Amino acid sequence: MTRVALLRYPGTWSERDFQHAFSLIPAVETEILWHEDADLRGFDAAIVPGGFSYGDYLRAGAIAKISPATKALRRFADEGKPVLGSCNGFQILCEAGLLPGALLRNASLEYRCDWIHIRTESDRTPWTAGLAGNILRMPIGHGEGCFVADPETIAALEERGQVVFRYTDAKGAATLEANPNGSTANIAGVRNEAGNVLGLMPHPERCVEALLGGTDGYRVLANVTGALEPAGRAVYR
Amino acid sequence: MRYTATIHVRTRSEVRDPQGEAILGALRSLGLDVSNVRTGKEIVVTFEATDFAAASEAVRQMGTELLANPVIEEFQFELADSAVRSDAAFSSTAARTK
Repeated sequence: MTRVALLRYPGTWSERDFQHAFSLIPAVETEILWHEDADLRGFDAAIVPGGFSYGDYLRAGAIAKISPATKALRRFADEGKPVLGSCNGFQILCEAGLLPGALLRNASLEYRCDWIHIRTESDRTPWTAGLAGNILRMPIGHGEGCFVADPETIAALEERGQVVFRYTDAKGAATLEANPNGSTANIAGVRNEAGNVLGLMPHPERCVEALLGGTDGYRVLANVTGALEPAGRAVYR
Repeated sequence: MRYTATIHVRTRSEVRDPQGEAILGALRSLGLDVSNVRTGKEIVVTFEATDFAAASEAVRQMGTELLANPVIEEFQFELADSAVRSDAAFSSTAARTK
């Protein structure tokens, strides 16, 4: 049985969607952990779901980064365990310094709620095994998803293959029109240098069965069952 | 001693500020000759510290650890003790740092 922790901060709203998504994957059990007493011992993977933690006050994800759950998450990530943050979860991981860069207000200043395409640029994360080059269709819903970092950091991310997802059109071309928020180089998701921590703005948990309009999120989340070696470290291909 | 810090947080000049761009467009539509607009926020914090140096250090910590994200933002602050704050000497005791 693969045990997945779903972190809940005040204002998190996607943890139950993740719980439903993982319930469709055989041999996975989940637990929702309140941020004040999150103990990640005994879990094989951790999810930082989307929402509006602390009402997005100060900056999206800024206050969550000093929560006890984030301290536990930092230890968990340091141990090499698989971590995935989506939407506000991605913002929290960036604010906490577990991922590089930051997420700014969308260039359009509009909240974008839509279906978009992303191309998988790297399979060197536990979550994207077997998906390199695949174009996935997923929903987004965010007002602050414009990924930025200084030019040296962007160059280093590209060089080291830390750009995991890029916004593209349905055919896989990273065009200006396919970029919903103005992210640098159409970046939709990045991983840390080790590869075990992944953040992305789209919502894999909202496209896990035909009823929801798509199943590409299932292809990402189902990797969780093979994500951890018996030795306790995340698997990379 | 009680201190009051006024912390100004702004996005770094090389980082795009879409809100500033929208305001720039709006000001121009009023017929005003405006070349650039940058937005930010002001945070006022009241707290106790032993002396001015300790208070200053505390504000620096607030800024770097939480109030500003160094990837995209920078901050400056003015600091005054409550006794000074009420008189005209406010600006002479103000510390400004990046």
